[in-house]
Amino acid sequence: MTHAGPDSVSTVVDETTKTFDVVVVGAGPAGSAAALEVARAGYSVALVERGPFPGAKNVYGGVVYGRILDELVPRWWERMPVQRWVTRRATMVMTPTQALTLDFRTQDWGKPPYNGATAHRADLDSWLAELAVEAGAVLVPSTVVTGLLRDHAGAVVGVRTDRPDGDLTAGVVIACDGVNSFLAKEAGMYRTGHEAEHLTLGVKQTLALPREAIEERFAVSGRDGVDIEMLGCTRGIPGGGFLYTNLDSVSIGVVLGLTGVSKAKTRPEELIAELKRHPAIAPLIKGGEQIEYSAHLIPEGGYRAMPELIGDGMLVAGDAAAMCLAAGIWLEGVNFALGAGMYAGRAAAAALKAGDVSGQGLAGYRTMLERSFVLADHRKLRDLPGLVLSDRMQQNYPGMVCDLVQGLFQVDNPLPKPGLRTLLRRSAKDNGVRWRDLVRDGWTGMRGLR
Amino acid sequence: MLVVAALRWSDQRATVDPLTGEVHSDARTSGAGAADRAALEHALRIAEAFGGRCLAVTVGPAEAGEMLREALAAGAHDALRVEGPAATVAEDGSETARLLLDGLQDRPDVVVCGDHSADRGTGSTPAFLAQRLGACQALGLIELTAADGALHAVRRLDGGRRERLTFGLPAVCSVEPADTVLRRAPLPATIAARTAEIPVARAGSMRYLRAGTAKPYRPRARALPPPPGSEPHQRMLALTGALVERTPPKVLRPATPEDAARELLDYLRRHGYAP
Repeated sequence: MTHAGPDSVSTVVDETTKTFDVVVVGAGPAGSAAALEVARAGYSVALVERGPFPGAKNVYGGVVYGRILDELVPRWWERMPVQRWVTRRATMVMTPTQALTLDFRTQDWGKPPYNGATAHRADLDSWLAELAVEAGAVLVPSTVVTGLLRDHAGAVVGVRTDRPDGDLTAGVVIACDGVNSFLAKEAGMYRTGHEAEHLTLGVKQTLALPREAIEERFAVSGRDGVDIEMLGCTRGIPGGGFLYTNLDSVSIGVVLGLTGVSKAKTRPEELIAELKRHPAIAPLIKGGEQIEYSAHLIPEGGYRAMPELIGDGMLVAGDAAAMCLAAGIWLEGVNFALGAGMYAGRAAAAALKAGDVSGQGLAGYRTMLERSFVLADHRKLRDLPGLVLSDRMQQNYPGMVCDLVQGLFQVDNPLPKPGLRTLLRRSAKDNGVRWRDLVRDGWTGMRGLR
Repeated sequence: MLVVAALRWSDQRATVDPLTGEVHSDARTSGAGAADRAALEHALRIAEAFGGRCLAVTVGPAEAGEMLREALAAGAHDALRVEGPAATVAEDGSETARLLLDGLQDRPDVVVCGDHSADRGTGSTPAFLAQRLGACQALGLIELTAADGALHAVRRLDGGRRERLTFGLPAVCSVEPADTVLRRAPLPATIAARTAEIPVARAGSMRYLRAGTAKPYRPRARALPPPPGSEPHQRMLALTGALVERTPPKVLRPATPEDAARELLDYLRRHGYAP
């Protein structure tokens, strides 16, 4: 049995009858959205998934921002498998002994059309794939795509799978095969060879907690939920932490720059254990019984790390196209995957209708992405992933901010209260922050947000 | 000739509530276990050897149709689902055997089942099938081949020994997974099976035996030799440890992992296990 890998080679085939109009590889959010759109347009589509069911291999501990589903599934919030609607979002800046939390809650996010939700990927992906199947897509589970099929001109005309007689020919192949997309690599769509620098490792523990304990500790009720993002909890390794509430469990974990964690010679579980012992976190998860431990790569390189999105007979979407936004307070991915998949499906259907599935015929995909939030947000925030993962942001700023706030709130009678400028200077000096770096990073941040 | 692969639909990743003993299963993670997949492979080989038809059949709810589609993709000629209960029921296997045979239109020549299922099954259904069919039974097989109009099998015995069997038809066999792996289904057959209609037989309801309320699993008590002594009083003292000088147990709730480690090390030093 062969599997896709870095050395997989395209196979040249003679002109054959198309098995399907479109083959979508990967039944994640991007793949299912693409298959749904193609099926709705009246074309035949195969949705090939390597797991025994959609979502079987996916790891997720995040928030789903579902508004893009308005275009795909009317009143999606009544049908989507949601754990909790996020009505509280908090950003926590930490040192080993300090924590500064910016905490926001609004009940507006707890009613339609909602803002974000926590969900289990196995449920979410299965639900999305089921929508595609209901629309007419053929789901092919437990099948690994091992390579591309090309015609003599080099255009992609299908995929080869690990099953006997496993060639699937199609007009368009949509690669939604995840962060380590061997299909995009095989098609030569990655422009850079430094992928490891653009990847982070997300490691997650799911801890079972009684629903009552979650509601009491996180001050929520009903289906309301909390999303906490953390900075400064990774021993200076580029990355951050997260804590999300599910219905009767919490997901806690860290996201670590791949090269950083390799250099640090530490294990992610040690960092999670340290995070769980932090005085600001320990009371929230006390008594939680671990029911799941998982890890997954995340493409956090942003706009600059995206591959080519269109080839002759081929489109790339979702994690395969690095469409994950990790820009400080914005941590989004599923919504980008849904949007990209939806536009890829529409572009494929339009190209099939026009009878031109070359790169030129599929160019509408890029146009749709640029007009939408998918590429617009990535382009606008393209400098922020680098800033967030920079050494200063990871190693110096959390301590500086915590010291500054501690100085502000600390009462040192009979000494007079120090001024803000004095406190800022002191905390910057104590944490090795130079003014010019502070100004430069502030300018980068502001420019990214304008 | 009809060769039946009788497959058990069970959740390979079912979870059990530690407090209530309630079993939580999920249709997505349910399907044929390793032994049942091996049974299907053996059934396909036997059907090929005898030039017969292979029928994949199960007793289960509508969700079990997915498992039968996989069997069709792998090469089964037909599939049949006998309507069964959605939830796991406690019964001795006789009801499953009755329903399964009542659902079949033709009398099978060979029935191949998986050995006991992964969800703590007893493996008794094949024996009931054989009894109802009046067929010979060969259970717990690790090898099964068809040749010269008969079936040849190897059965695992205690002490690492093996027993070789040769038997005729009709027969009911149950197989262990051993080294038999279900063949990889071709892609065209997999795609065709995705939309295949699975016939459903309604052979009556299962008059299953309820085994009382669900309780958490408790290991069986271990038998220990009685303490020495002729007097009941002495034996009671020995059993309870009363009147024996000992350090009473102490419940510690150290505040930090460091405190816990210190307590453990102190204990080991006190009792001479550590320098």
